[in-house]
Amino acid sequence: MLRASLRYLLRHPWQLALSLLGVALGVAVVVAVDLANQSAGQAFNLSAQSLTGRTTHQVLGGPQGIPESWYVELRTRHGVRQAAPVIEGEARLAGQPGRSLRLLGVDPLAEGQFRESFGGLAGEQPLIRLMSQPDQLALLDADLAELGLAPGDRIRLELAGREHDLNVAAALRPERELDARGLRDVAVMDIGAAQELLGRAGWLDRVDLMLESEAQVEQLRGLLPADAQLLEAEARNAALQQMTRAFQLNLTAFSLLALMVGAFLIFNTMTFSVVQRRQLLGLLRAVGVTRGQIFGLVIFEALLIGLLGTLAGIALGLAISHVLLDLVGRTINDLYFMLSISELALSPWSLAKGLLLGVGMTLVAALSPALEATGTPPRAALSRAVLEQGVRARLPWLAGAGLILVSLGVGLLALVGGLVPAFAGLFLMILGWALVVPLAMCWLVRLLAPLLGRLAGLPGRMAARGVEAGLSRTSIAAAALMVAVSAVVGVGTMVDSFRATFSQWLDATLRADVYVSVPGNGALLPEAVEALIETDGVAYWSTARYGRVGSGEQRHRLRVFHLPATAEDAFRFRSGDPEAAWSAFRDGDAVFVTEPFAYHQQLQVGDTLLLATPEGERPFQVAAVVYDYSTSEGAVMMSRETYDRLWDDPIVNSVGLYGPPGTDADALVQRLRQRTGDMQPLRYRSNLELRRLSLQVFDQTFTITQVLRMLAMLVAVVGVLSALMALALERAREYAVMRATGFTPGQIQGLIVGQNALVGGIAGLLALPLGLALSAALILVINQRSFGWTMQVQVSAEVLLQAGALALLAAVLAGLYPAWRMSRTSPALALREDAA
Amino acid sequence: MKRWVALPLVMLVLVAGWWLWPSPPGSPDASGQTQSVTRFLSGEEAAEGYARITGPEALEFPRDHGAHPGYRHEWWYITGQLETAQGRHFGYQITFFRFNLDPDAPERTSDWGTNQVWMAHLGLTDTDGGRFHHRERFSRGGDIGLAGAAVDPFRVWLDDWRLDGAAGPDIMPLRLQAADDGLALDLHLDALKPLVLQGEAGYSQKGPDPGNASRYFSYTRLATDGELILDGERFRVSGLSWMDREWGSSVLSEGQTGWNWFSLQLDDQTEIMYYILRLDDGAIAPRSKGLFVAADGSSQVLQTQDVELEETRHWDSPLGDARYPVAWRLRIPSRDLQLEIEAVLDDQELRTGFRYWEGAVRIRGARDGEPVAGGGYAELTGYAE
Repeated sequence: MLRASLRYLLRHPWQLALSLLGVALGVAVVVAVDLANQSAGQAFNLSAQSLTGRTTHQVLGGPQGIPESWYVELRTRHGVRQAAPVIEGEARLAGQPGRSLRLLGVDPLAEGQFRESFGGLAGEQPLIRLMSQPDQLALLDADLAELGLAPGDRIRLELAGREHDLNVAAALRPERELDARGLRDVAVMDIGAAQELLGRAGWLDRVDLMLESEAQVEQLRGLLPADAQLLEAEARNAALQQMTRAFQLNLTAFSLLALMVGAFLIFNTMTFSVVQRRQLLGLLRAVGVTRGQIFGLVIFEALLIGLLGTLAGIALGLAISHVLLDLVGRTINDLYFMLSISELALSPWSLAKGLLLGVGMTLVAALSPALEATGTPPRAALSRAVLEQGVRARLPWLAGAGLILVSLGVGLLALVGGLVPAFAGLFLMILGWALVVPLAMCWLVRLLAPLLGRLAGLPGRMAARGVEAGLSRTSIAAAALMVAVSAVVGVGTMVDSFRATFSQWLDATLRADVYVSVPGNGALLPEAVEALIETDGVAYWSTARYGRVGSGEQRHRLRVFHLPATAEDAFRFRSGDPEAAWSAFRDGDAVFVTEPFAYHQQLQVGDTLLLATPEGERPFQVAAVVYDYSTSEGAVMMSRETYDRLWDDPIVNSVGLYGPPGTDADALVQRLRQRTGDMQPLRYRSNLELRRLSLQVFDQTFTITQVLRMLAMLVAVVGVLSALMALALERAREYAVMRATGFTPGQIQGLIVGQNALVGGIAGLLALPLGLALSAALILVINQRSFGWTMQVQVSAEVLLQAGALALLAAVLAGLYPAWRMSRTSPALALREDAA
Repeated sequence: MKRWVALPLVMLVLVAGWWLWPSPPGSPDASGQTQSVTRFLSGEEAAEGYARITGPEALEFPRDHGAHPGYRHEWWYITGQLETAQGRHFGYQITFFRFNLDPDAPERTSDWGTNQVWMAHLGLTDTDGGRFHHRERFSRGGDIGLAGAAVDPFRVWLDDWRLDGAAGPDIMPLRLQAADDGLALDLHLDALKPLVLQGEAGYSQKGPDPGNASRYFSYTRLATDGELILDGERFRVSGLSWMDREWGSSVLSEGQTGWNWFSLQLDDQTEIMYYILRLDDGAIAPRSKGLFVAADGSSQVLQTQDVELEETRHWDSPLGDARYPVAWRLRIPSRDLQLEIEAVLDDQELRTGFRYWEGAVRIRGARDGEPVAGGGYAELTGYAE
């Protein structure tokens, strides 16, 4: 019996190959995304472990950091010795645009037992050089090898816009293999050199502590500067990693979508194989094979396909995970924090998950066809017509169940909070709508039949009837195609909407003609600021200061703006009365918060927000919630006037310069450059350029979404190919009869292609409402909950047409081979073959 | 006091291993580091770029109580004998070391950028408890202020270990505060005798080359009282201390294996400093010498030929590879002086990366037929490894 089953599979190699490919692609996407996510997580953990070491707590300051004198007092006056100062920064490898190093400035003599990960040092008196010379650094052995460097060599790094020729004083040789991976792309310097190169003289970014008792923690708390926080190192790492969670969850959901399409394929293949072998199955029952055995047979076949497809999928997933990993890493770096993901985390669990999902999905998909097979009565050679009648009778029930699922999904999306229920709702919607497809198709075909008859005569009517007659198979193919196309529409519309919203926001926000900053977000020198604002042709100017500020156990992004009154409309209020808000912002202790911030912190206009200032923790009133798409973490915005009242911090990170109307930005940049001369390396960006660069980053961020969308599409095309091709092949005998009765090969070809086009067109049509519903769910619910952004839904005709064309094209392509084969086979042979 | 020079430098490289963890044996860096240390210590060419001491020079106070950053090394070194009212005996040692690691270091804008590194050792011998405790600290010097030495008023510090004195040329009295993990000293010290210049008016020549020398002076008798805490127990103590000041840039010569150094305070109000440099072949280097300080504070240099030193008992380190002398007979025939010197506790070995023995000793003997007694410190290096 098993042999019969194998022979059957092998006799239909196309069908077998395509369903294998379908499962493989679905599993591949899931495995690849999971591996990429795991790798990102592991890279973060390794680097956090290596760089946190035995640190239990960290002291973090306000926007400027922590004054180094506080640290000195901590040791010399208070006798706290398990304390290590840290300066952090980012350096780019000159000549290698894509590659950044995480710069860590430490005091080797204070490091003690903090980070054993640094391991042995190889080099000529490395310790002495690191401390006494201003241009020394240590790099991981493996990184040096990769760069073709050894201790004693020079390395060119770009720091804060200036290139430096630094000396590799030592190679870091961690004892533990894990540390060797956690320290990838980390450059260790002495804290003095790091301060100098990053322009941070006098300040520390944080102080790491090893505190053993609650009493020590309390002692430290009592010694903190007013605007500093004492945070647990682990909690801080966890909070950092938490930031990427929504992003990674979104990726996983998209990958499951691909797998879902794959499951449809299996369902299709198995149903088809059962239907095709009804005679054989009836015969088997007649000779005494039990229902259980028939069930086992179908499940066995599914298992075989599922297992083979899954194994191939895992291999394929490993191959494409490298590409995904790169994209995930880039997105995390663009949106969240610096992370070097240099290797794939090959976790057995990821692979096992892929295996379980792949095989499990296959089995679930094969369940219904297997049950159907057991329903075959002995000796039955039911005519197809009877079978199809049975199927048709079930359509309303199916559709009813589908509609219930859809409403359940919508209910989940609308009424239950959180991301996971939202995704579950999304999947229910898709599944439910897929169940509605057969009935909808039935009606549509009936509706279209007269029209097609008028357009294409007999073959047109035949194509329509053929679709209806083979509903048990055509509907599944259409459903698979519909799911895939709707995903394409949904994700495409979501990205389009986001981009349009982002772009409009940029237009509103970027008001200055030229923006000037220091590469690496360093501080502008006061004389440079003065020179800039005094340049000819500058009518107004604004300044911005970026930093972080403590609030309880959290650290918020703080943006401090000095704004000319004319630039006020750069802020668009989501809530808050503009007039009152602006006056509170300028004169009172009020702040604006960005929309994602308000969402994450659950703040509304009129609420107060506690921020750690040099005068201690103070309440700030939220005067407005403003639209902002620059960070999903959200930010607090404060006026320079308020900031200067509380902080003794003259630093400016960026200056916006406004010329009179009709200013030529390029000419203004020229004058600015001349005016500032060699004071400081500065980055000048015209309004247009900044806008272009921002959109570029945006597009880069969404590359991964697009890639996943393409993969889902690929799975769908494979599915449709498989389903429709099988259908056409199955009808070989029918076509042979038609040939024998005088149809020309051309007419047969037209019939097959026409039938497929009809299925494709209907699938495309049915995909549109679901696609739009998906995009609405993605934009209004999932993105909102993941990132806190409001977006305007923007439906572009392009995306819709593209999806329709995709559906048609896939379907027509699927018809080409059977059409070609049919037209080539002699009718007599086809008739005999089928009878055999 | 040649004794310290190799020790701290080796220690410093070991601290590199401490922070930067030991490298796998046989890796090129391990040998590279050792080589560079050897070169660093080997006298002449390595001392290039540093300020040099080439002959006697007038000392100027309070300036010379402060740091001399242009020289390669410098220390403020105090040892002492303490007793509670009930007669419980403790020996203590604290040393602040300063090193210039890189004479060619450029000027820096960051206060952290410096070529100055500081190390401090704290040792406490609990004679009656039969235990020896020691602690060690490192820090960078420079303007950041984590460690350093200054005058007007006088102070030397590393983290919260500190030695404070008065403003002006006379820094006395001093207050020493050092606490670390179950161990704390808070002592007041006042000079019973003025400082004495060692060698030739403070010029202490260590080798045949006149530049192979250090600047060296001592307070040989400091009245001491205060408080010490050991394992949570607080003791009121008083006694006598000794302070050495020394700086220079090169000292070692070829072929030395180690040194034995003594500071002895006798109850006839005299003090003796004496060291021998042991050579590879077991002989004593001719530049070994000492100083005798009379009750009135006047002093005389002791040459090798003036002193007979005989080891009378030995002790094996529990690690098994070092055998230290722990009792001696010292005779100065010209002064009709014979002393039996014995460690108050045999095990006063610092088993850190660089192993050496530094500990309190008690003294019994006779001068001119009259009995004398006292206490002091001995330092023994080059026995292990």
